[in-house]
Amino acid sequence: MSSANAHGGRQDSSGSPGVIRLTVNGKRYEFKVGVDVMPFTALRELLRDRLGLTSLKEMCEGEGVCGSCTVLVDGRPTLSCLTLAVDCDGKEIETVEGLAESGHPLLEAFSRNYAYQCGYCTPGFIMSAKALLDRNPDPSYEDIVRGLSGNICRCGTYAAILSATREAADALKARRGGGGL
Amino acid sequence: MILMGRPLRRFELINAGTVDEAVRALSKYDGRAWPFAGGTDVLRVLRFRPLPEDLMPDALVNLKTISPSMSYIKEEDGVLRIGATTRLADISRDPLVRSGYQALAEAAEAVATPQIREMGTIAGNISQLPQCLYFRKPDDRFHCARKGGSVCYAQSGDYRYHSIFGAVNNCIMPNTSDIAPALVALGARIVTNKRTLEAEGFWDVRVPGNTVLDRDEIITEIQVTRPPPGARSKFLKFAVRKSIDFPLVNVAVVRGDGVARVALNAVAPKPYRAYAAEEVLLGGGSEEEAASAALDGAVPLQMNRWKISVARTLVKRALLMASGRGAEGGGP
Repeated sequence: MSSANAHGGRQDSSGSPGVIRLTVNGKRYEFKVGVDVMPFTALRELLRDRLGLTSLKEMCEGEGVCGSCTVLVDGRPTLSCLTLAVDCDGKEIETVEGLAESGHPLLEAFSRNYAYQCGYCTPGFIMSAKALLDRNPDPSYEDIVRGLSGNICRCGTYAAILSATREAADALKARRGGGGL
Repeated sequence: MILMGRPLRRFELINAGTVDEAVRALSKYDGRAWPFAGGTDVLRVLRFRPLPEDLMPDALVNLKTISPSMSYIKEEDGVLRIGATTRLADISRDPLVRSGYQALAEAAEAVATPQIREMGTIAGNISQLPQCLYFRKPDDRFHCARKGGSVCYAQSGDYRYHSIFGAVNNCIMPNTSDIAPALVALGARIVTNKRTLEAEGFWDVRVPGNTVLDRDEIITEIQVTRPPPGARSKFLKFAVRKSIDFPLVNVAVVRGDGVARVALNAVAPKPYRAYAAEEVLLGGGSEEEAASAALDGAVPLQMNRWKISVARTLVKRALLMASGRGAEGGGP
């Protein structure tokens, strides 16, 4: 029987502080709890500071209202500022860096549509858009507005962001070889 | 290392393997440990530290590690059973909830943002600490009545969004859960490790808490009896923005087949069941009359009087929609 574990990670049989294992953009990592990562380390800090994934931005001081630190945790769009790193043991995490490696059409669509001005909110928007398209490959305008409503762009490039997301949906559809004109 | 923004206040994280383990950990810390699941409210508190030091948690007890998982939605013998740590997004998408318990699905869909709905849980939503400009500021700025102080700063300050049904324990902070009125209207039951509570009796106004739960008590399940076949439910929310905002007024109603239930939230320190409106409807009165009765007894102040007309309109609109006579769409 497993006992309650005050270190916040897996406890090995010797009872030493646990480790957490996460998959980030397809690569597996292991962190020692209490050494590499503390119980009160936010996922965003772990990904930025230990893994150098600087696409994770902070706009709202970690209050969960801006969406610019959005990552996917097991496919769910998640605010990494309000997620504990140790709570992600065994989970799969995706960031914009992963989409860049795999050549996801969202990146090109955002670029072609100038769906940014300063670019600070862009990684968060792209991750929310990825979550939306994963669940709904053929979103209506309203679906896109709703799906991206947890992200803020202070430059006001919303119209371009909506077009880019729709364009990426079409590109994914073409890639799958389905329908189209 | 680059430190971004404000760090979280330090705490221990206890991954509970069972409900018993969670309860034992909570009683060991005697109020200094808080249950933890979605974290969207708890971690905000740990980052922004609105409470005096002696009320801040030193430990979080993780309920997501409990086995068997408390994240599930099922219906058995006409009773919907939702596990405490079920995510709001899963509830809003669930075909079962959407078909028989519309108000609950709509309430879940109305919460905050897509990200927060994917993270936040049903038990967390109804237990969250409420919203008030003064309460959410650090304790050394506003040591208000809900933090053990003697003053309610809102009453002599900005109370535009606060209670229109007066104060409880000298606090006019409204309960801002979207799920709460849906559960009250649907007559839900909140099951804990100790007892089963009628939804209506679940909330309280404490320092600083929002529920009647003991320190070593956790919600395990929410139960809702399926409304009769001819009844329909509806949830509506009024807020400044369509996304992220807490409700300024929200309402859930169940109507038809001899059932009439009306519950409002964000208008009082606890979710408010409008019995007077229900009596009007059961006595054959109109939606208009019911909506008017729903706000009987309100004691607004100069700056939050506007909530009355908004609440009346929402009640009327929700009742019309539930009876199939109101137009969908075109929010308030």
